[in-house]
Amino acid sequence: MDTVVQLIVNGLLLGGVLALSALGFNIIFGVMRVVNLAHGDLVVIAALTCAMAYAHWHINPLLLLPFTALGGFVIGACIQRFLLRRLPAEIASGEASSLTLTFGLSYFLAGLGLWIFGGQIRSVPYLTGAIQLGAISIPQARLLAFVAAIVIAGLLGVFLRYTSIGRAIRATSMNLDGALACGVDADLVRTVSFGLGSAVAAAAGTLLSYVYTFNPQDGIPFTISAFAVIAIGGLGSYTGALLGALVLGFAQAFASYYAGSTLADAAPYVLFVLVMLVLPQGLLGRRAS
Amino acid sequence: MKIAGWIGAATALVLLLFVPLHINGYWLNLLYQTVLYVGLAYGFNIISGYAGYFSFGQIAFFGIGAYTTGALVLATHWDWTICALIGGVLCGVLAVPIGAVMLRLRGPFFAIGMLGLAQTARVLASSSSALGGGSGMYLPPGSSLLPVYYWTLAVAGGAFAITWWIDHSAFGLRLQAIREDEAIAATLGVSTTRAKVSAFIISAIIPGLLGGGYAWFLTYIEPTSAFSARVDLQSIVMTILGGIGTLWGPLVGAVLMTQVSEALWANFPQAYLMIFGGLLVVLLIVLPRGIVPAIATRMQKRTTPSAGGGMVMGSAQPGPERT
Repeated sequence: MDTVVQLIVNGLLLGGVLALSALGFNIIFGVMRVVNLAHGDLVVIAALTCAMAYAHWHINPLLLLPFTALGGFVIGACIQRFLLRRLPAEIASGEASSLTLTFGLSYFLAGLGLWIFGGQIRSVPYLTGAIQLGAISIPQARLLAFVAAIVIAGLLGVFLRYTSIGRAIRATSMNLDGALACGVDADLVRTVSFGLGSAVAAAAGTLLSYVYTFNPQDGIPFTISAFAVIAIGGLGSYTGALLGALVLGFAQAFASYYAGSTLADAAPYVLFVLVMLVLPQGLLGRRAS
Repeated sequence: MKIAGWIGAATALVLLLFVPLHINGYWLNLLYQTVLYVGLAYGFNIISGYAGYFSFGQIAFFGIGAYTTGALVLATHWDWTICALIGGVLCGVLAVPIGAVMLRLRGPFFAIGMLGLAQTARVLASSSSALGGGSGMYLPPGSSLLPVYYWTLAVAGGAFAITWWIDHSAFGLRLQAIREDEAIAATLGVSTTRAKVSAFIISAIIPGLLGGGYAWFLTYIEPTSAFSARVDLQSIVMTILGGIGTLWGPLVGAVLMTQVSEALWANFPQAYLMIFGGLLVVLLIVLPRGIVPAIATRMQKRTTPSAGGGMVMGSAQPGPERT
């Protein structure tokens, strides 16, 4: 019984951070219908930056969070402004070319990471202790990452709900033509959304730097897990993303206990394929047009 | 014109068959790499270019072919060509259920599904102790590159011939109809699942056969080189450079780029991924249709000023309407 409770706690803590990473992915997909295959590489680069800063100057990654998020925003905004927007007009409508572009970008960022950080595995050995609650132990690092992820997701929700640019982002993802008719500057909205999505990815990477070890070529699994989360929850649905993250968190926690860590790595992928086949719209998805 | 084409093809074939007998190891290796990438690019082109299902995971079949060949050679001591053939057949067989499941996903879902498949295959290979885990398997060394070259040449030639047939057949038209609009293709009576899965099987057998030769050539297989992200990325970039969804594009792209990319990989392995990833991004913006369609459009313009190609990436090469 204790084992099950422990696994539920592990799954919940992991799910919080997965949810944050997926939220970034979801904003970009919702507004632009672009699947950002470079998402995981942004997560990894942010995490490696924190690991590097910790190794050299003992800077707490949490203090770096505003900077990594800002860096992510700038990178994301530039990707949209200078690359995606320049895809030739007759092609921009097709998913294939934006998909291929972000695929190339993913390798570019992985190569950049390899060049800057080298190929070795890095981590942040900070807050390695655990809080004991009876038989249940809660790793401090994961708890901190979970709490911070929930706070950031909450701030993001407030931003999207109450600011005018946030409303414009939501309007554009609901109905592009309607938003354009109401005078929304679609170009600006796209740039801000890509920046925001990338900033959230970088924030998730910063928080994950406590939890995992990283090497520059680890990006793709994070992209797949973010995609799995929103595919499970339903593309474009924010509550769905939270639910999907919890499902995936539990699946990974239970799989790593009962089937070993190798199979746990395959869990997001297996879950994604299963959900896509059984429930193509996800758990809470609305119909994608 | 037609006769000139046949003479050119015959000359090329004679050169490709007999020149390798008289060149040294470096040039033979380069020729082998070129032919290998021509084959891989054609494999990617059939499912992604003609059927429009972008697969970033064809390397999974390359790896499966390599591992099957390696394991069979070690277990049975059969000739490697038989083992590689079995590897290719296995990829074709595996592609039936994988294709039937994966091709129900569309657009980005399919692309991510295939990316995940390659990732999962690599994880499984590195965790399987029977396949040597992360440290891999050693094959008998001391083999000559020449047989591997001829094997690869035969597979690449076959891949070209199949693409030529697809480009001139009703099957090819069915694939292109699926690419342009799958729902309309289905209402016009195209059995979409059957066509898609057939294309997927062909696109799986080609890298599977090539992977077997690659394993024999390397004499050493481990997860990172068998399911190599570099090889996957490189064959995709070459196809898009030459012109995806065209008959000649993969050939042109692979021939033009193999030497450059091998030199880059040998001299700047650290910067390699960055350069190739960046190249793909720039290519999509600057030359999205690829070299072959760009040249074809220009030639067409010269003969008939009013004609011009309004093709999208992944569109067929220009030519008379075949409806």
